[in-house]
Amino acid sequence: MDLDTFRKSLDDWLDEHADELAPSFPGHGSVELQQEQIGKVRRLTYDAGFARWGWPELVGGHGGSALLRAYLNEALAARDLVETGLYALSEVLGPSFITFARPELSAAVVPRLLRGDEVWCQGFSEPGTGSNLAMLTCRAERTGDGWRVSGQKVWTSLAQLADRCVLLTRTGTLESAHRGITALFVDMDSPGITVRPLETMHGEPEFCEVFYDDVAVPFDRTIGEEGQGWAFAMDLLPYERSTALWQRAALLHRRLQQLVEAAAPGALDPVALGEVVQQVHAFRARSRATQHRLASGEDLGSATSVDKVALATTEQALFDLAAAALPDEVLLADGPTAGRWRKEFLYSRAATIYGGSAEIQRNIIARRLLELGPDR
Amino acid sequence: MIERGDLELFGRSLRQAVDGATGAELDAALDELGWIDVVRADPAAGISLLFSLQGRALATSSALDRLLALRLGLEVPAVVLPATGRWAAPGTVTGGRLAVDGLGTATIGDAGAVLVVAEDDGSATTVETGSLDLHPLPGIDPALGLVRVRGEVALGAGDRTGRVDWSSAVAWGQLAVGHELVGASRRMLELARRHALDRVQFGQPIARFQAVRHRLAETLVALDLADAALEAAWLDPTPESAAIAKAVAGRAGRTATRHCQQVMGAIGFTTEHDLHRYIRRVLVLEQLFGGTAPLTRHLGEEILDRRRVPAAIPL
Repeated sequence: MDLDTFRKSLDDWLDEHADELAPSFPGHGSVELQQEQIGKVRRLTYDAGFARWGWPELVGGHGGSALLRAYLNEALAARDLVETGLYALSEVLGPSFITFARPELSAAVVPRLLRGDEVWCQGFSEPGTGSNLAMLTCRAERTGDGWRVSGQKVWTSLAQLADRCVLLTRTGTLESAHRGITALFVDMDSPGITVRPLETMHGEPEFCEVFYDDVAVPFDRTIGEEGQGWAFAMDLLPYERSTALWQRAALLHRRLQQLVEAAAPGALDPVALGEVVQQVHAFRARSRATQHRLASGEDLGSATSVDKVALATTEQALFDLAAAALPDEVLLADGPTAGRWRKEFLYSRAATIYGGSAEIQRNIIARRLLELGPDR
Repeated sequence: MIERGDLELFGRSLRQAVDGATGAELDAALDELGWIDVVRADPAAGISLLFSLQGRALATSSALDRLLALRLGLEVPAVVLPATGRWAAPGTVTGGRLAVDGLGTATIGDAGAVLVVAEDDGSATTVETGSLDLHPLPGIDPALGLVRVRGEVALGAGDRTGRVDWSSAVAWGQLAVGHELVGASRRMLELARRHALDRVQFGQPIARFQAVRHRLAETLVALDLADAALEAAWLDPTPESAAIAKAVAGRAGRTATRHCQQVMGAIGFTTEHDLHRYIRRVLVLEQLFGGTAPLTRHLGEEILDRRRVPAAIPL
């Protein structure tokens, strides 16, 4: 399957099934509604075959270039069919899971993620370790019949709706730092798990605190080998900063067009608008190049920190412009359209914080790409 | 398109040529290498390779004239560039006379004749350099050797061509200058990085300080984005995509000058270190084929006018 054929047949299919695919709610919607919509879109696109391209046959995919997957994601965002931040979890977790987990485990569970039968979440951050991931303390003890997990995670997106969690645990000593970390695949209905959603500034409990109290996890749910958790996380983070962002680029382009349509005459300063258009364009150009490099098998690693810095800067600039041009919608007005501008404006404030803060990304760029040596 | 292996080989020869010569000598080397034939076969590769190297080496050549002539489909040794900050054609036709107000590259004096495109009717006229006022502009970057080209000549019957495709030529010019800006800026970043690693204060290299690291990281982000915008524009070099890429490159160049000069401290403000040469070059290149500010304003006004943002770059 080549990209142009895929693009054409997907576009036609999306047009034909527009009514069926459309969200049942106007505007931004609650996390529950958004996730329900994502589940519906995943099921329809999977059953029609589109969501299987770009994934290996092992997990029910049709194979083919990862660019096919990227185009599906782009097309869904460009039509406002899914909330991209939540939808992207499959792009973030899927590829590394397949690389590290036992093939039997991947074959059993990844198709369920791709078809929308299951929601997964990513249990990485802890109250004491946000940026300093290597010092995580959520403990997994080896017992006769499996792991016993005790500890606390925080900022776990969608934990309240998730069926499974990809969880980083400490299996070595704290002094072993990144070497003593193991990744586990945990059923969220296991006894001992308590989820407490956190109310956020944009009004949606998108992420949660999750408490693990002596939770049993079978050994065959270890993702990779014991002690490979750091390698797994390092493999995964570049996806969080690359494939997921192409979809974001499509969304920003759509919002920019909507902003131009919605702004009253004189409300948009041409210079400010021109600069944001240039930023959105350059970010998209960068993200496109990244998708092509990834699809050709290049290992991007730290270079994706440039993509993340670009996204965060661009997204904030776009929504700052929206707030300046549509102050009533963003700040005060009722209704679904104003509600969405408001929520997305507020959510954009987090773009320099989530997925590795802007400071951490610049540290990575300085250390790995500019080779400036250690910083302490 | 040219095979990847051949391009790599060509790139290496080109690098030697640009590192070893500038001005007329570099022009001769480019002729020998058949640079313009590479541009004919693969404009993206030919132009991006040469101009990013030229920026790194602070070299000058008449390559810009040659690619503009090629794009316009006319055999001329030199082309009058738009005036500072502008991208409009430098000529105006009124009552049988052609008025010229533009810039020329360093080799224009030896060219004998130059091509002047008129903004109003889009025609092109070959004018003898002797009939124009050529005024050298050492300005802030004497090594670049730009020349002010002004004057007014009478148009004889048949002197003018019909409408030429100035906006396509501008697009190539913007992309060429964009690559040169990024080339010069990447070299600046290398100099600032070296300094940060070598310079010791408070008992450690200043490269250890996060404030310094983040300035350099910010510079790399800006330059990588500029390269991406230039690369994407070559996929479909429309006037709009090229103008956006030029503006992004111009802004990235200014980001690089600001951060690199700050990281270099006082030595970067002296003429004992090479940094100032790159800063000078970037400041002038930013104004060729459209300054960042007017390009940005024009883009915003166009979008407000048609209420439509530029098409998204396809995957």
